[in-house]
Amino acid sequence: MSLWNPYASLTSGQRRKLGVAAILIVLAIWSTLSGFGLVGPVKLPTPWAVVQAMGYLAWNGETSLLLTATLWSTGRVVAAGILVVLVGVPVGILMGAAPKINAFLSPLIDPFRSAPIVALLPILVMWLGIGETMKIAFLFIGAVVYLIPMVRDAVQAVPQSYWISARDLGATHWEGITKAIVPMAMPRIADAIIVGISMMWTYITVAEYVNAREGLGQLIQNARRFSAMDQVFAGIIVIIALALVTYQLMLRLKKKLYPWETSL
Amino acid sequence: MEAKPGAAPQPISLVLKEIVQEYPAPGGGITRVIDRISLEFDRPGINILLGPSGCGKSTLLNMMGGVRPPGLLAPTSGTILINGAECTDAHDDAVMVFQRYANRPDLTVYENVAFPFQLSLWKKKVAKTEWQRRVEDMLKAVGLADKKDLYPAQLSGGQNQRVALARALALRPALLLMDEPFGALDAQIREEMQQLLIDLYKAWPCLILFVTHDVTEALKLGDRVIVLSTQPATVADDFIIAEPRPRSSTWQRSTEAVRLEERILAQLHQVSAGRGAVRVSI
Repeated sequence: MSLWNPYASLTSGQRRKLGVAAILIVLAIWSTLSGFGLVGPVKLPTPWAVVQAMGYLAWNGETSLLLTATLWSTGRVVAAGILVVLVGVPVGILMGAAPKINAFLSPLIDPFRSAPIVALLPILVMWLGIGETMKIAFLFIGAVVYLIPMVRDAVQAVPQSYWISARDLGATHWEGITKAIVPMAMPRIADAIIVGISMMWTYITVAEYVNAREGLGQLIQNARRFSAMDQVFAGIIVIIALALVTYQLMLRLKKKLYPWETSL
Repeated sequence: MEAKPGAAPQPISLVLKEIVQEYPAPGGGITRVIDRISLEFDRPGINILLGPSGCGKSTLLNMMGGVRPPGLLAPTSGTILINGAECTDAHDDAVMVFQRYANRPDLTVYENVAFPFQLSLWKKKVAKTEWQRRVEDMLKAVGLADKKDLYPAQLSGGQNQRVALARALALRPALLLMDEPFGALDAQIREEMQQLLIDLYKAWPCLILFVTHDVTEALKLGDRVIVLSTQPATVADDFIIAEPRPRSSTWQRSTEAVRLEERILAQLHQVSAGRGAVRVSI
């Protein structure tokens, strides 16, 4: 079988083998570099040291720093996530459903897609202080400026024939939106929500660097201050794992909610 | 009142007066696609609008259904009267059946047929027990009662058009507008669907306008055949076929049928030599 065939189908076994191989190769390089002292432990801890650090963070004899931090971070992502969905989905639908609303709001929202959201952090700190409000607001803004345009695009991507057909069957304009266009756009709206929530895991550390008290970002920040690189690595790995689990769970939920989409 | 199979159909009159449709032509100027078409229909029947592809027959049908291209005045001039009232927007006297893309992929077969009754317009008009019975009846009539929980993607093209027909007729429309409904189907399935339409029409007669470019289909189904020329569309011929349906293959080979077919083809060649395409499938 030639390597160069974009349409070749792999068995799930083949795919898993190749994926595991890639991870093993990285681990091998990592072990070599750190194990033989090619890179100092201050810069690159050994994989084993990261495992030990993970164990220590998970249970240090009296408490689980990792669990506390994870709960705080997850709580913030969930709180901001609910807000993002409650605001972003309706606004995106309105923009997708009415070209005039879109023309009015898109100059206010679209530029932020290419703007460095992190640069807004100092402004948010000035306006909202350094407490929870600022952190949630930062996560919210970071995700909502992506979610709204994606929801709008999902609505606009519904073929016009469904609109014409619903209108012909007697739907009012509003019913055409609520009973034809939005239900048809739901799978792609769900995709947008998944991307938006996943994005918040990338912003969480930044949000938690400021006035770090609790959370995975604080845990990493703290460890860095004491040059405990093994703990920094452990923290990053936990965030990646959480993001991955969230992503997979949401993807599964979406497939369950919209079984018809796969057969489209 | 509910029309029982075989019951008297609702009264209907449809009048097209001097319909003209023009589009801005690419590169400036104006293209007239429909030129002063006047037609009258005053009773149920299967009326065929026959013409080469791209002759403007779909445009004409969409006008009657109230489906307007965005940003365009349609018709440019002329009026359409349905039961005496001018038709300017989507309205509930007419239901359209399109060639494709009409079934909702996110709804099951049952939900697709029941969809119009979720709209405020039909909710007001038809009680729940009544529409539920209609939906069940229509699914049985089109032979999909055992497939009502499947999604459209799990059905064949012919079955999907059965769903579209069931949804349209469940509304008991006075006017049914069909835009090449069987055009995308294989020859054998198309024949099955033509027979189904004949059966459904017998049970629930209404005024059907059926657009096709298939001469054989026109002769098989039409009570009245209106031949349209192309660019711009005008009425080139308009005649009645008295032969009762279903029309046997013996009739289809009879002198009468062959003459009609030659008459249509001669008209089409005369008015639109070299433009568009018609199909004769035997």
